[in-house]
Amino acid sequence: MPKSFNFSDPPFDCLTPAEQELVRSSLDIAFFAEGEQIIGTDVPSEHLYVVIKGYVEERDGEDVVAICGPDDVFDARGLVMGDASHNSFVVREEAICYVLPKSVVLDLTKANAAYGAYFYQDLSQKLSRLSERSRARELNWLMMARVRDAYIHPAYYVEATDTVRTAGREMRDRKVNALIVRNGARSGIVTGMNLTKALVLDEQPLTAPIGDFAHFDLVTVRADEFLYNALILMTRHSIRRVVVVDEDDQIIGTLDEIDLLSFLSSHSHLISVQLERAHTLDEMKAVSARMDELVASLHVQGVKIQFIADLVTELNRKLMAKLFHHLATPEIVENTCLVVMGSEGRGEQILRTDQDNGLILRDGVEIPGLEEFCGCFSQGLLEFGYPPCPGNVMVTNPEWTRPLSGFRQEIYQWIRKPSGPGNLNLAIFYDAIAVAGDASLLDTAKSYMFDLLADNDAFYAHFARTTEAFQTPLGLFFNLIVQRGDEGDMVDLKKGGIFPIVHGIRSLALQQRLKETGTIARIGRLRGQGIIDRALAEELIEAFNFMMGLRLKSRLARIAVRKPYDNLVNADDLSTVERDLLKDALYVVKRAKDLVRHHFHLGLF
Amino acid sequence: MLGWLSRQREKLLLRDDAYAFLFDRDRSGELVCIDTETTGLDPWVDDILSIAAVKIRGNTIVTSEKLELLVRPSLTDGTGGVTIHRLRPMDVAQGVEIREALDRLLRFIGGRPLVGYYLEFDINMINKYLLEWLGIKLPNKAIEVSRIYYYYKYNLDRLNSYPGRVIDLKFDTIMDELGLPLLSQHDAFNDALMTAMMYVKLQQILRS
Repeated sequence: MPKSFNFSDPPFDCLTPAEQELVRSSLDIAFFAEGEQIIGTDVPSEHLYVVIKGYVEERDGEDVVAICGPDDVFDARGLVMGDASHNSFVVREEAICYVLPKSVVLDLTKANAAYGAYFYQDLSQKLSRLSERSRARELNWLMMARVRDAYIHPAYYVEATDTVRTAGREMRDRKVNALIVRNGARSGIVTGMNLTKALVLDEQPLTAPIGDFAHFDLVTVRADEFLYNALILMTRHSIRRVVVVDEDDQIIGTLDEIDLLSFLSSHSHLISVQLERAHTLDEMKAVSARMDELVASLHVQGVKIQFIADLVTELNRKLMAKLFHHLATPEIVENTCLVVMGSEGRGEQILRTDQDNGLILRDGVEIPGLEEFCGCFSQGLLEFGYPPCPGNVMVTNPEWTRPLSGFRQEIYQWIRKPSGPGNLNLAIFYDAIAVAGDASLLDTAKSYMFDLLADNDAFYAHFARTTEAFQTPLGLFFNLIVQRGDEGDMVDLKKGGIFPIVHGIRSLALQQRLKETGTIARIGRLRGQGIIDRALAEELIEAFNFMMGLRLKSRLARIAVRKPYDNLVNADDLSTVERDLLKDALYVVKRAKDLVRHHFHLGLF
Repeated sequence: MLGWLSRQREKLLLRDDAYAFLFDRDRSGELVCIDTETTGLDPWVDDILSIAAVKIRGNTIVTSEKLELLVRPSLTDGTGGVTIHRLRPMDVAQGVEIREALDRLLRFIGGRPLVGYYLEFDINMINKYLLEWLGIKLPNKAIEVSRIYYYYKYNLDRLNSYPGRVIDLKFDTIMDELGLPLLSQHDAFNDALMTAMMYVKLQQILRS
């Protein structure tokens, strides 16, 4: 039977033929009776098991946390960790297993890095290994390039007191277009364009000190950062150059947009340039129409979901701001703040789902033409492909377009008189972010919200309870609980996995009065404050990204066949690895729910 | 006692003391499951084409310590086995001499009891060569899997059993009845392995 050992599933799929032969010749076959304990909690495991037939339960104490069926491998973690405090494995239904000695496994992990990665993993590493593999298959390596891979212009310095003439000559001699300007402990940047403007437009003398024209609010990027992030920075700040620093924030040089583009000649940048130049509604619509295309192409190329989300969020917000400025009268721009909320506010809406936006008006200012503006804005978004919000969280709804004082009253109601809809609104509003207009209006409203939040445990418990509204589809009998649908067995990723993470984290973040809106950023802060431990934080982020990625993949597949998409994925479409990872991710979700339940004492309220 | 006596008698007949270990008392607690493929079904005429053996240690089939040998036939041209075992003459030509094969087999099994399916045939086949070469027959205890299965089946529903009841002892039937995964490829090793699985499974059933 070792001859028919299945080498197509991880971790065995990455072995060389010689290594496969080693495995084949080292395999034994063992029989286990029902109820028999294969691995106990108190002794380190000496073997790796691969199920041939039957089922084995993985137990954490009395709880069954997973079922291993044919072709499943256990207990990879316990084997290499070697500690005694691992889960136990008990036969549920008489099992026949391959048995591979620990020594062979360890030898292979040393000889074969990809194989080893499988064992020395927590979930996050297992996931990146998956993306590594798909990278090998599909990824244009450029997408994963780091800043240091691109051409970085070396840093040349001038003193702030040096003259414009000196700086100009320095640029010519060094053949660069930007210099770092030192002013005491601060550093700034001055470009050829700055000099030209100073001399030609402002008619400054050649002897003027260069420090007057330098920018000291440097936008910097680490050398080991992904180039994509540099692109996002440039897009966000509308600049053509960023300063590259090392781990100690020491300036290494500058990265020019043109050099970045020679690296990333994909159309992601073209879209942002196109957006920059769009002036009419039709032009904006054209840009918006290419957004899905961009997402699909980035996804196919294996770009990490987080980067896609960041880039798309940046582009989406630019698009909305652009539309806002296109339609708004100067009074509107002056006296309102356009906010996006919900997933859009968290920066987690990758494909356009629905409009979640509102307008905060300055108190005591009468704004003519406001209603018409709101109608046009909403209509514009609709044409760009953002369907109306089913919950009517839109600028066209007076509930969400009201003066600051009106929002304050609402917030007061939400917090002091908790109710189902109130909690929902508070959750939506907590995720709000300003996109255009006067951002201080939103800041004021949010400060008011944070001030009102008392240390009232019952309130938070009430708010957090929704985390448990849906069951996580990880069951006792067969790992994934699926819903039978017309098109096969479906798993609801949003209810089962994404929502509990988002809302659980939101509840914790709200209690800590965190200003961050993104789930991942919130997890980072909560980890920093010791609310979530490091391991869980990392696994949560990876689980969250994995489920977002899975949902994106399934949605893109639906788009490709021109079908409407939702939060369901078809369990039959998942590969063994994906199923495995989804189970792991859902397991993390369960742990996060436990954390939230304990933290807010949900059992008590 | 009788078994011991006959073993001592065999030992006296042994022509080469290098193989005296066959008569040692086994202390490993292991069993060896064996299977042979032959050019036909008549031990006196036909030849062994391949031999496979695998150890059984408790509930584990130790496939990592297996013996799998192709034998170069000495008497016939070896074509007889083609249709049954898919061994072409050129495959068999890569095999070892029967003496070397038997030497390695004997050292592999030592004093361990043998397990097999219609084991008698395999033992007869091996004994044909052993008698000629060492002057003995295999002294090892022989355990017939189909026999264990028969008693298990017969006693399983004793109430329904009647004298002369026929129990299907076909290889595939036993595998199926015991719920064991049938390997598609029939060669000596896979057959020995499946037989070993039957044995371990039956032991588990009978223990519970």
